[in-house]
Amino acid sequence: MAAEFRRGRLSPLGWAGLTAGAAIMLAPLVWTLLLSLKNNAELVGHSEAALHGPYTLQNYAAIFGNSLTLRWLLNSTIVALGQTAGVLILASLAGYGFSRLDFPLRKPLFIFILVGLAIPSQAVILVQHQLFAWLHLHNSYPGLILPGLVAPFGVFFMTTYMRGIPRELDEAAMLDGASRWTIFWKIILPLTIPAQSTLAVFTFLGAWNDYWWPLISATHSSMYTLTVGLAAAQMNYAQTSGLGYLMAQAVFASIPIFIVYIVFQKQIVRAMAGTAVR
Amino acid sequence: MKRIAAALLAMLALGSCAKSDHRTHLYLQRFFGECGAEYGGSTDVAKAEGECGIITALVNRFNAENPDIRIDVNVVAWPGYPQLTAQVAARDPPDLVTMHEGVISDYASKGLVEPVDGYLRAAGISPSDFTEAARQGVTMYGHVYALPWDTHGGLFHVNTALFAKAGLMRAGKPVLPDSADEMLQQARQFERRTGKPYLIQSNVGDPAFAARNLYTYMMAQGAVLFPDAKHVRLNTPIGVDVANYFRRINVEKLGTQNMDTPAAIAAFVSGEGGIYPTGTWMIGSFEQEAKTPGRPLYKSYAVYPYPRLWGAHVEYVSGHSWVVPTRTRTPAQRAAIARFFKFMAAHNYDWTRTGHIPAFKAVLDDPRFKALPHRADIAPLASMGRPLPAYVLRQNAIEGIVGEEAAAAFTGQKSVPQALAAAERRVDQLLATVD
Repeated sequence: MAAEFRRGRLSPLGWAGLTAGAAIMLAPLVWTLLLSLKNNAELVGHSEAALHGPYTLQNYAAIFGNSLTLRWLLNSTIVALGQTAGVLILASLAGYGFSRLDFPLRKPLFIFILVGLAIPSQAVILVQHQLFAWLHLHNSYPGLILPGLVAPFGVFFMTTYMRGIPRELDEAAMLDGASRWTIFWKIILPLTIPAQSTLAVFTFLGAWNDYWWPLISATHSSMYTLTVGLAAAQMNYAQTSGLGYLMAQAVFASIPIFIVYIVFQKQIVRAMAGTAVR
Repeated sequence: MKRIAAALLAMLALGSCAKSDHRTHLYLQRFFGECGAEYGGSTDVAKAEGECGIITALVNRFNAENPDIRIDVNVVAWPGYPQLTAQVAARDPPDLVTMHEGVISDYASKGLVEPVDGYLRAAGISPSDFTEAARQGVTMYGHVYALPWDTHGGLFHVNTALFAKAGLMRAGKPVLPDSADEMLQQARQFERRTGKPYLIQSNVGDPAFAARNLYTYMMAQGAVLFPDAKHVRLNTPIGVDVANYFRRINVEKLGTQNMDTPAAIAAFVSGEGGIYPTGTWMIGSFEQEAKTPGRPLYKSYAVYPYPRLWGAHVEYVSGHSWVVPTRTRTPAQRAAIARFFKFMAAHNYDWTRTGHIPAFKAVLDDPRFKALPHRADIAPLASMGRPLPAYVLRQNAIEGIVGEEAAAAFTGQKSVPQALAAAERRVDQLLATVD
C-alpha cells in the first residue's frame, strides 16, 4: 500500500527519467543477447545485422557441443558453493567470537584481520601460488576453494551484525543452562539470516566471476572454472570473426548469476542500501 | 543433507581420479581456441578449417597414428603465458607448448625451455630445412629452442574493385607503391577517384598495428632498433621520418581515423577503403568474403606483403612455434616428442591453409601450397621476414609500448619526437628491470 502510494506520487517526468534510465541500462544486455543469436559470419562486416533476422541458436549449440562445458559449469558450481559455505561458517564463528567472547589479544587480532581488507590479492599471489604448489593443491577443488575462504570482509560484516544483537538474549539463555554452542547455534545464528544471505550472495558472485586465481591454479582443462574455460575456448580474434559465439558465452555464463540476482534481489538491494547492518 | 554431502564427495573423488595405461603420455598445451564440438573426433586434417579445426584434427591424427603415445591436450586462454609461467613456478609444466617466437627468449634465457636440437636430430629435421624467417625466430644462444610452425606478419589486404575504380590495376593486379612518395601519390589518387580512404587503419587499441609499421620501415632503412639487450633506439632521424610519414597520411585523411581492429575489419569487408594492413591470419575470412556473391569483396580481393617504401624490402614478422619446457622426462617421452616434431613438420602444409606462411622451405615449393589462393603472392614473406633480435627479452610487452606511442604519434595525440622519446624511455625502463 505504502509502495503504491509512493508510486502514485512519481511525476510523469520522473517516470520518463526512470524509463530512459532503465532503457540505457538494458540496451547493452539486449544488444548482447541479439548478437549471440546471429551467425558469426554475418557479424564480421555489420554488427547491426543483429537488429534483424534470421536468428540462430548455433552459437549456443557450439557451447554445449564442447564436451567440457558442463564440467566447467560443475566446477564453478562446486567452487562457488564451497567458498560460500566456507565463508559463512568461518565468518559466523569468527563474528560470534569477536562480538561475544573475551579472549587475549581480541582487539589486535580483529584489527589484524581488518588489515586484510587493505591488501589486494595481487600482492600475495606469488607466495600464495608457491604455497599451493608446495602443498600440491593446484588443479584440485581445495586449491580453488581455499583462497576464497580468507574473507576479512565477512568477519567484519558478521562481527558488526552480531554486535547489534542484544546481549540480554545470551544472558537469558545462559540462565536457562544453554551452552555457548547452543546460544550460537540456536539463538544468535537464526537472527543473522539476513546478514548471512547478503554475505552469501556477495561471496557466491565473487567466486563465480573470479578469473585470476583459477587461471593460474587450474591449469588442466578438466579443472577449469566456467570463466577460464570459456575464455580458453575462444579463438584468436574472437571479437571479430566469432562475435556471436563470444556473446553467447557471455549470456551463458551470466545465467546462474542472473538466477542468483532474481532469487536474492531483496538481500542484494538491502546490502547495497547499507541497511543490512543494523 | 548427508546425501548431498556424500554425492559432492563422490564427485570430488571422481574428479581427482588419474588415468592409467601403458601408453606414453605427453601433455600438450596450446592456444587457438576450443572446437571439440566440430572437430573433437576428426582425424581428417584436409577437411578441417581454421586454426582451431586444423590443430585439433592434427593432434587427433597423431594420436590415431601412434597408438603407443597419447597426447593430452590442454587449451588455454590466449596467449597462455600466465598459465605457463604458473605451471613452471609450480614445477609442473607441460611437455609441448605453443609459443610466439618473440616470447621464446624470455623462457630460454632462464633455462625454462629446453634446446630442441636433439629432438630435431632424432626427428630427422635440420635447421637448414627452415625458412630464413623461421630459423631466425627460433635460434638463440647458439641453439634451436623450438620447432617453428609458421611465420606471420602484416600484409596489405587489397580491395581490387576500389583499386580498379582508382585506376590502380595493371594486368589484373593491384599496383602497389615502390617508394614512400609513390604511395602518397597513389593514396591521393585513390581518395580523389573513389572518395574513400586508401588505408584502413586500426590505430585504436591495437598497438601491434602501429608497431608493425614503425618496426618494418625502420628495419627497411637499416636502423638498429636494439643496439643491445637493454636499449631501444626509435627517436632517430629514420624513426622520425617513418612516424612523420604516417602522421602525414592521417593529416591528409588518406587513412581511416579512430578505428579499432573490429571496426577496421568491418570497414574492409564493407568496401570502405582500399588497403587494410593486417596479419596473415585474416586471409581465410577475407577470402570467404571474396567467394560470397553480393559481398563488397566478391571477386575483389588480393593480398601482398608490405610494399617497399624505403631501403630494402624487408618486413617485421613473428611466428608460432612448439617449445619443450624444461622438466624431468623419461626416454620414452623424449622419443615421443621427437615423433611429434616429425609428424608436425610433415604436416606443415596443412597449417598453411590458415593463411600463415610455412616454416619449412619444402612447403613453399609444394604444389599444394602454391595452389592455395594468394599464397604465391605472400610467400616472399618467408625470406623477407625479420624478427627482432633474440637477445631482446619481453618482446610482447615492448611491442605494446612501442605500438601505443607510435599510434599516438601517427594520430597526432603526441608530437612525433615526444612519442618516440616516450617509447624509448618506457622500453628502456622495462628492459632495465629484466634480469
